[in-house]
Amino acid sequence: MEFRIIARALRYVVIGVFALWTLIPLAWIVSLAFKSYAEWRVSYFIPKNPTVDNFLLLFNPQELLGRYGVMGATAIIEPATKPLLNSLIITAASTVLAVFVGFFTAYGASRYRVPGPFTLFFTLLTRMLPPAIFITPIMVYYSNLRILDTHIGLIALYSAVTVTYAIWILKGFIDAIPIEWEEAAMLEGATPIKVLFKVVLPLVRPGLVVAGLFIFLLTWSELLFALVLTNINAVTLSVHISKYVGAVGQLFGPQAALALIGSIIPVVIGYTIQKHLVTGFTFGMVRG
Amino acid sequence: MSREIPKSIKLLSTLPLNIVLNAVLIIPFAIMIYLAFLKWSPAMGIDWWMAAFIGIANFIRALGDVRFINALTNTAIYTVAVVSIEFFLGLLLAYLMLEEFIGRKAVLSLIIYPLMLPPVIVASVFYLMFQPYGPVNNVFLRAILGEDALRITWFLNPRLAFTALIIADIWQWTPFIFLILYSALSAVPKRLIEAAQVLGASSFTIFWKIRLPLIKPLIIVAVVLRALEAFKMFDYAYLMTGGGPGVSTETVSLYIYRVSVLYTDISYAAAMSLIVLVMLAIIIRLFIWYFFERVK
Repeated sequence: MEFRIIARALRYVVIGVFALWTLIPLAWIVSLAFKSYAEWRVSYFIPKNPTVDNFLLLFNPQELLGRYGVMGATAIIEPATKPLLNSLIITAASTVLAVFVGFFTAYGASRYRVPGPFTLFFTLLTRMLPPAIFITPIMVYYSNLRILDTHIGLIALYSAVTVTYAIWILKGFIDAIPIEWEEAAMLEGATPIKVLFKVVLPLVRPGLVVAGLFIFLLTWSELLFALVLTNINAVTLSVHISKYVGAVGQLFGPQAALALIGSIIPVVIGYTIQKHLVTGFTFGMVRG
Repeated sequence: MSREIPKSIKLLSTLPLNIVLNAVLIIPFAIMIYLAFLKWSPAMGIDWWMAAFIGIANFIRALGDVRFINALTNTAIYTVAVVSIEFFLGLLLAYLMLEEFIGRKAVLSLIIYPLMLPPVIVASVFYLMFQPYGPVNNVFLRAILGEDALRITWFLNPRLAFTALIIADIWQWTPFIFLILYSALSAVPKRLIEAAQVLGASSFTIFWKIRLPLIKPLIIVAVVLRALEAFKMFDYAYLMTGGGPGVSTETVSLYIYRVSVLYTDISYAAAMSLIVLVMLAIIIRLFIWYFFERVK
């Protein structure tokens, strides 16, 4: 009996420690984001004079650099507004594209086994290989096409590398729809295209939302492609964040504020599709 | 299904996908294979299709490139380290979370949030955490080591820098393995567990002899997917250590990025990319065969 109580207590301790370990970086970043310059290097978590300056300075880099006089900080010349907008536009557009292309493919794969296994394998392969091995040729190719540093370039690339998730997530949803409903519609004389749009599409709407949000989450997080393919016009939030660390490195408060701003959307999305995260991350191999 | 494939559906389910894949992946892929056999850099002032063909010289150079081998070794050590630690922690946690207790849902929601964060943000956060006056030194190590803790410079020592990267990875991705194993373990049929209990098996035996063997395929999914992701690692190294000190934490992704973007040695980067691609494609092919085709 006593052994049981000890085992149970130990269990709560381990879970508690893990929860704390997960929580501490978050708590510290929130605290740092509201600390004034004088408190950036101190150890306590509750700021003495909470301030929103760090957030405001992100949108006013001239003031930011003037105030803290950081040397060699030429990398940050943009307010955070443009990267935020770019990220929203690029992520939203590529997500919509990936979900619709993925939906058509998933329907064919679920009902008729087209496209063949090779294409499906290829999409999985592109997703599992390191993005770094694609950057060299894509950089060359984009520069020949003159679409480096454009929104369209990133949108096309992101939709191509995330379409895999749309296919596998949506295939699961379509597989769950009774095929009799489609056959009934066919018997009444509906064309296959009409069945696809009028019967399947409305039924699979929750799947489109899940796939879309999941892909949004992934695309929003991507750094390497954006780093290589953008320069001034199409800089995304990830690249903007990396500039704070790499080129300046000492603006702790604003850096924490930027991390918080950049986390809001992915965390909200993540909790919205919490039940489906496992399915998404494992290409539908594990049902959440 | 054995119906005939309507032309319209066939077109719709293959054409858009092929356009997207061809336009931005397959064409560059073909270019990469060609580039790998050339000697070309934008600095040469000619277009790449005019460049001289040098056969397999780039590949030979890669195999003798100390920095490439170093990057491969770093990445392999990193992958093995993070995956084994994350697997152990994730499995332990999944086991502990299996039984119902008050607040389990809340704890579950809490411990999976790192999964949702962009890695670039996690890297930025841990860069801050590991600063000499950051909380790791200033709060935790100071409690153990006293004032000496403030002198630890994590990113200037090769071992410590590597450790910092591993810690960031474990923080963000243990929930990944945990979540997969947790859903798998929860899905094990109750009646199997009850039957074993009736026969007098201890909960440890039940876990070891019944639950674990049943979820073995999903353990492989979790570990292989995590390993492939860890092998890609770029964000943490790029932001936190910049591959340094020296090249002690340089990963394959970071080295290829540098060769192609900073040193603009494009054809050499293409050759290294191809080597990595072939290595991984074999592993992935076996994995997909194991999961999608073996049973059918």
